[in-house]
Order: sequence, then structure tokens, then C-alpha cells
Amino acid sequence: MSFSPLIDRLIDALRVLPGVGPRSAQRAAFHLLERDRDGARRLAEALVLAMDKVGHCNQCRTLSEAALCALCNSDRRDRSVLCVVENPTDVIAVDRGGAYNGLFFVLMGHLSPLDGIGPKELGLDGLDARLAESEVKELILATNPTVEGEATAHYIAEMARRHGVRVSRIAQGVPFGGELEFIDAGTLSQAIADRRAY
Amino acid sequence: MSAQRVDSQPAYVIHARPYRETSLLIEALTLDHGRVGLVARGAARPKSALRALLQPFVPLHLSWQGNGELKTLRSAEPAGMVRRPDGRAALSGLYLNELLQRLLPRDDGHPELFSAYVDAMQGLIFPESVEVCLRRFEMRLLDALGYGLVLDHEPLNGEAIVPEAAYDYDPHGGPRRTSAGLGLNLRGASLANMAANRFDDETTRADAKRLLRQVLRTHLGERPLKSRELFQGLAARKQV
Repeated sequence: MSFSPLIDRLIDALRVLPGVGPRSAQRAAFHLLERDRDGARRLAEALVLAMDKVGHCNQCRTLSEAALCALCNSDRRDRSVLCVVENPTDVIAVDRGGAYNGLFFVLMGHLSPLDGIGPKELGLDGLDARLAESEVKELILATNPTVEGEATAHYIAEMARRHGVRVSRIAQGVPFGGELEFIDAGTLSQAIADRRAY
Repeated sequence: MSAQRVDSQPAYVIHARPYRETSLLIEALTLDHGRVGLVARGAARPKSALRALLQPFVPLHLSWQGNGELKTLRSAEPAGMVRRPDGRAALSGLYLNELLQRLLPRDDGHPELFSAYVDAMQGLIFPESVEVCLRRFEMRLLDALGYGLVLDHEPLNGEAIVPEAAYDYDPHGGPRRTSAGLGLNLRGASLANMAANRFDDETTRADAKRLLRQVLRTHLGERPLKSRELFQGLAARKQV
């Protein structure tokens, strides 16, 4: 059945959220209308503000409303190391680990010819220009260990070597606290192949 | 008509993209059914075991059912050892996959093409064989599509290829003798080597590359290959 036009429109709009189908959209709509109109207004305001203001950091391309994101602007980060990741959420994941104190470059995707995504779409000309400025001494390739991720890493590595920048790729292997028995064959054979002196 | 079920078909994933919330839309090259479109339900969930499996370069056995354009994947199992491609092999693999996606219609089985693809996937792992590997696959792909190259005679007059002579190549009409320096400027000996599947000679490799690029361009039409852009971007290093 359908509700009044405005309610229908709200339910329909809520379905843009990931994981929200017709049922949960309806639940959310009625919850907001019946119990939390203030919260809904704050949500609407936050949505409009974020959609209007949030763009990309000029330096690392991550999502940011400032021309330079907080990380790029920080004077406590090591500016000689640059870590290349696919998505803004990867920045948070790497940073959370605490082992990395350099800057990031966010591709917002990976090379994928079949999806029409090439170097231009990933802003690699910007990265090229940045490597040419020579502040960066080491580039860490932290693209995903998928075929597209490897191809992307290879492409960027060739680019960086032309500027004489040292290139490394994040290690792959067994997760801490994992049990060998439950690790997939591909990861395990990679871990054996890339074993190191101990 | 009941839904067609296919069990344990040897296959490689050509491309995977997110589909709906938690699923993947897979293009796969299979032994008997050619290129098929499959929906892998739940494969995009963070902990799905299928996620790591449904990747290019991984030899698989796929089972699916359905009659439409898109079938439903029922299961995927690894078939043999997974060799991870290095970055260069990965780029070349993406090129082959783009060729297949662009030139091969869905649901058109070519067992010979599948075995060509298996050979290519194995050859790409070794850096020294990448170039030859690509050329062999391109030739076998054209054969499978019915556009096979003519390499032993001039269709125009029936004359055999002369090793010392120079040839141009019409994508629809085959080799044509010209004075040296004209058209594609292919050496007769290169055509003979290609016909005999011998690529150890550098001139043959260079000629084969020019010839195949020209012929593939005819069949690909106006829109250029995106992966070729990548190779061109790597201009500083030796091109594949």
C-alpha cells in the first residue's frame, strides 16, 4: 500500500542508504515522524551541509571539506613517506594501526579497464606531480591484494621509480592471532613464498 | 522449461563488480559455455569466502543455474594451485580480459579458446614470456571468433608468401605484397614464423605486434581499449 505522497517520498529517499530496503526504510520513516523529529531535522541539516561542503583534499584526494585535510595539514606527520591506498576508509584502517606516521594518497578506486577506470580517473597525474617535487623519499603501496590492486601498484611503482623514489609494497600473509588451518590456500602459499629470515 | 543447471565447469573470472548490496556480478570464461554472466549472491560480504576466490587468474570450477542473460552462481571451487600474478602480469591479464569482454559474445562456447586462455594465464606468470604469450592468445582468439589470420599465401592471387618480401595486411583480405616501407611493412619470414608459432626472433615479435594490433582494431571498432592506455602510460619502460 502507499502512504501520503510526502511519507512515500521519505521512505523512497531513505532507501539510498546501504543495507536499507523497503521494510527498514518504512520503519525508519515512521520512527522519525512519530518519535524523533528533532533528530530527523539534525540529520537533514547534516546531510545537506556535508553534501554541499565535503569535497576532496587537494593533496591526498581523501574526502574533506577543507582544501587540505587534517592529516595533510598536520605538522606531526613524516612528510618523506607517502602511503597509497584505494579508499578513504583505508586511510583510517592504516592510521588506526599506529605503525605509520607518514602521509597518504587516496586513489578513490583502482585501475580497472573493464569499468573504464584508467590513470586519469585515479588522479595519478597529481601523484606524478607530487613525486616530482621530491619531498617524498619512500612510497608505500597499500592497494588491495587483488589483481586490479596489483596492477595499480605496478603502474604507480613504475611512475615513482622514474622520479627516483624508493618503492615498497605492504606485506601479505597470516593475520595475527589467526590459525593456519583456517587460512585460505592462496594466502598461505604467499606467506610461505615471502617468508623471511628469523 | 526448467532452469538449466551446469556443474563444475572449468572457468576463470574475467571481471567482478559489486551488484546490489552484498552480491557480485561476475563475467567468467568457461570451457563449454564461453563467456557467461553470473550473479554471486552474498559474495561481497566482508567475510565471504567467495570474495577471495572470485578473482581473475584463479583457476576455478563453477556451478550455476538459470536460462537468462544472468545466471545464478551456485558454487565456486578452486581448481589447482593459485599463482598470484605480479603487477606486470596483472596488467597484461587485464588486457586479455578486456579483449574477451569486448570481442566475445556471451554464451558462445569455444573450448579451444578456453585452453588458449589457460595457456596465457600460465605463461603470464613468467616475465620473459609475457609478450609471446599475448601474441599467441590474440591469434587464437581471432581464430575462435572466425577472424583467423591468413599467413601462408596472398588470397588476392594465391601466391605463397616469400620470406624476403615485404607485405601489408588488409584485416579483411589478408597479406598483400608491397614494396618495402609501405603499409604495415611486414617481413614475409615473420608471417611464416607466426604461422609456425615461432616467436624467438625479435623482428617477428615486432611484426606480429603491429599486425595483430591493426587487425584487432578493426574488430574492436572506434572505442579504444582502456588497458592500452595503461601500457602507453608506462612509456618509459619497454612496451608489451
